[in-house]
Amino acid sequence: MNAPGIPAGRFIGKRMPRKEDPRLLTGRGQFVDDIALPGMLHCAFARTPIARGKIVSIDTSAAREVPGVHMIYTAEDFADQTVRMRGFFVEQEVPVRTPPLCEGRIAHVGEPFAMVVADTRHIAEDACSLIELEYEEEDPVITMAQARTGAPVHPSMADNMAGMTGVDEIGAELQAKLDKSAFVIEEHVVHQRVAQSPMETRGIVATRDGPEEFTLYITCQSPHLVARWVTLTLDIPDMSIKVIAKDVGGSFGLKNNPWREETAVMIAALKFGRPLKWIEDRYEYFIGANQAREQEMTLKLGFDTEGHMTCGHGDYDNNNGAFPHGPGDNLAVHLFMWPAYKMPDYGFVTRGCYTNTPGQAAYRGPWQMESLIREAALDRAARRLNIEPYEIRRRNLITAADQPATTGMGIMVDDITPHECMEMLLEKFDVAAFRKEQAAARKEGRYLGLGIATYIEPTAVSGIMSSMTGEFAQVRIDPTGRVTASLSTHSQGHGTATTMAQVIADRIGVRYEDVTVFEGDNSTGAFGPGAAGSRQGVIAGGAAFTASDMLVEKVKAIAAHMLNANAESITIDDGVIHVAGAPEMSMPLRELAEVAHGHPARLPEGMVSGLEAQYRYQGLPMVMTSAAHLCVVEVSAETGFVEIKRWMSAEDCGTVINPAVVEGQIAGGLAQGIGCVLLEEIAFDARGNPTAATYKDYLLPTISDVPEFEFHHRNTPSKSTGGMRGVGEGGAIIGPPTLCNAIIDALTPFGELAIDLPFSPTKLLGFIEGRDLSGGH
Amino acid sequence: MKPAPFDYVAPQTIDEALQILADAGGGATILAGGQTLMPLLNLRMSQPFILVDINRIAGLQGVSRVDGATRVGPATRQFQALGDERLARDLPVFVEALSHVGHHQTRNRGTIGGSVALGEPAAEMPATAVALGATIEIRSQRGTRRVPAREFYVGPYLTVLEPDELVVAIDYPDWPQGHVTLFREVTQRPGDFALVGLVGALTVEGGRIARAGIAWFGMGPTPIAAVQAEAALVGKALSEIDPEAIAGLAVADTAPFTDHHASTEYRRTVGRRIFARQLREKLDIREAA
Repeated sequence: MNAPGIPAGRFIGKRMPRKEDPRLLTGRGQFVDDIALPGMLHCAFARTPIARGKIVSIDTSAAREVPGVHMIYTAEDFADQTVRMRGFFVEQEVPVRTPPLCEGRIAHVGEPFAMVVADTRHIAEDACSLIELEYEEEDPVITMAQARTGAPVHPSMADNMAGMTGVDEIGAELQAKLDKSAFVIEEHVVHQRVAQSPMETRGIVATRDGPEEFTLYITCQSPHLVARWVTLTLDIPDMSIKVIAKDVGGSFGLKNNPWREETAVMIAALKFGRPLKWIEDRYEYFIGANQAREQEMTLKLGFDTEGHMTCGHGDYDNNNGAFPHGPGDNLAVHLFMWPAYKMPDYGFVTRGCYTNTPGQAAYRGPWQMESLIREAALDRAARRLNIEPYEIRRRNLITAADQPATTGMGIMVDDITPHECMEMLLEKFDVAAFRKEQAAARKEGRYLGLGIATYIEPTAVSGIMSSMTGEFAQVRIDPTGRVTASLSTHSQGHGTATTMAQVIADRIGVRYEDVTVFEGDNSTGAFGPGAAGSRQGVIAGGAAFTASDMLVEKVKAIAAHMLNANAESITIDDGVIHVAGAPEMSMPLRELAEVAHGHPARLPEGMVSGLEAQYRYQGLPMVMTSAAHLCVVEVSAETGFVEIKRWMSAEDCGTVINPAVVEGQIAGGLAQGIGCVLLEEIAFDARGNPTAATYKDYLLPTISDVPEFEFHHRNTPSKSTGGMRGVGEGGAIIGPPTLCNAIIDALTPFGELAIDLPFSPTKLLGFIEGRDLSGGH
Repeated sequence: MKPAPFDYVAPQTIDEALQILADAGGGATILAGGQTLMPLLNLRMSQPFILVDINRIAGLQGVSRVDGATRVGPATRQFQALGDERLARDLPVFVEALSHVGHHQTRNRGTIGGSVALGEPAAEMPATAVALGATIEIRSQRGTRRVPAREFYVGPYLTVLEPDELVVAIDYPDWPQGHVTLFREVTQRPGDFALVGLVGALTVEGGRIARAGIAWFGMGPTPIAAVQAEAALVGKALSEIDPEAIAGLAVADTAPFTDHHASTEYRRTVGRRIFARQLREKLDIREAA
């Protein structure tokens, strides 16, 4: 059952069935919309129909007459409530004032400007349609080009620049180096905006249970982080805040923190005193929720005659929309462009701008754009030199022999393996044979392409960027002998209740079935930022490791005392305590647990009763994960369609707790990467109206569009406890460069295809035919 | 995403349904399989006063024989028609086109008549009705009329149906056993509406095309009969057929649009190509003859 190369422990490394699945697959999950509280009312939002302008008046009189309507709120009703909006990095307020309900200046289509509270959602929506909004429309700023010269989206600001690091011009020294290079590759990538598209849209049930008690059921990435966020944002330090999110249907960064609508519901619940529910519908999601990507970048890479990089410069722009979750020039992300490569000198400028579009949120794989442009540029250099894509990487990647190494941006690496991952794939894929097949196919008018990409990703960041800190595990053996654990983790589908149970069962020596993991409630476990930055398996896994080991020490001490044996001679396996060389003394763990809880007099002198241990593992500042992917495509010259024929992955995420969970993470990320390259696009017309507001028009990859992936694992243990490395985002990061490189390779008979995503059939066929197919009215 | 208020009625007979439609004075909408209507209701893009659920009217369901044609009841579920042996034998291209409508799950509820009557221009079933020369039988309290599918479609989601009228049958004329079928569609994902698609039937007698019925979908505001191509094919010996030229004529009848899925020029270019390829493959015509 183990994937090749995975060291097997008792449970670590095994494809254990997920503990969550029977509940989720039989419709017994508990998502926010499953919550029904006595007296609960329902909310709906009236939303702005224009992208930019001033509200002249809001007339709610007709809406208030609808039977079943209890209350209608507009911004002025919330004027007495402090709102200091913040993103995932909870300590800081966002730089743009972000009111729950539009306060007069309309900044994008779909902004909530009024909220109806009614007996049912139907009635609330009926009332919303009767709210009359009078406005003065202005010309919106939609694109990044418009943002540079257009009037400020936020009039309190001088311009639309949300953030900038570096300078526009390339420094003279770097320019001289570029000029002296044997050749320079200039790569330009246009990455469209996309929607994170969790299956469960945003939603909240908020109830004030007493003057000091505030309970929230909210779909999120960490109940602990939400509780802290609410305390600070609403400035209610004296309230006890309970946040429950048992099951979450995906998030991918969107639900890092609550945002405008959830905050409006919280404020209304505090004021109105009855439980309120809001479930975002898919139409609201498309026009109102924060979105992701929309970046443009130019990369200049200098090479010597052998294809070694000499220097480089990146120029990066990011469309933050009107109300982004963060301040946004994506600087931190840019820092990780080169740690896997020998890049002697690199300069960059990054900019983020405000526009009259929905704000930007995080999305799985923030290193995607940088990885895409880097890997595409390397392939172009390889073609320039008439060498294979793997060869240009062999000449530039940092190998085991090069480490430890400190890269240009000051990032130290000492255990990365992208080169080794790539070689692992090359052992299993015959590139020379493929080139023969490719040449033969071209003669028949069939266009096959090979894409290779390599990358590293900093995961499990801890202690160097708040809110990313350590993770907590409390493990206890109940008097029944069952093991119960409370963790700071939170799953949006990650299966942490499974993987953490595997670690605990493995380390203690009990049956997997006898371990239950509790999470998803801030009264359980302790503070943790949840699923963000591929961190939980690594850090919480380490916490579960150590807490379990601490508990085992106590079990051994008690057993040694009860059995008059040496603690070193004691082992626990399958829930039974054994003494080496004395099988007759074996004893069920349950018997010992009964003693530990109920018979303190039988415990060693001075030992407190009970059988539990807890540990917060701070983790390392970051843990690097490496991977190489390879795919083969065929592009139809008849229709411009791309068929993915084969896809191989070799990743190194250290100790693999559960190969099925790891492969699920990679596959899910790849599906999103494939969607980015071929299908997905949030676009706006000139007035700022979205061109896709349903899944009929916003195309997600389906099971038919995603190939079977071949997984290969390298397992270089990290220095983190347990040896794990994060693996939550790699597929989304490396999927696009791998697929783009394959498509570009397939179409080299027609020239060098520039990356302008998505690669729609119209764009690809136009490239193949050497003419603009985009119009034709 | 909840519908605006509406009344709901579920008549048991066609006459009862016609009475309700007549009384509603234009405020009624017919609910068949609901695979398009329910989302439109939820998006409030459709706000009828009365929803007339025809799913309980036995007389609107099933596949039967009438003189010279196969009659498909409009409330016949798509999955039932897909499994119908007579349709598979007599109208294979109808079944082939139907297998591309939506997904397995939507075909369990979706109906033939719902798809035909809705008139989505990029959908398979309206174009199939046009291509095969179907006749649509329409009834109201004012009487019964039979409209050829080629005259049924007016614009996107727009047909000659009056608000008090109900489609009661779709009659697909017989095509001889062994006729040649044409079908090809280009979709971004399986189950999507086509960027461009064509469906048709040809009969060959004595080495010549005796009869041709071909229609496009996704190539204009309605399903579009390729009338110039049909006329050029009929009477022609297989050896005389120039697939490229016929495809050119076929595209000349279309009026495709640009949307964010594909451009007008893309649709024309690929349409011409798949049309020519279908002729070559199905009539076994060698390339560049």
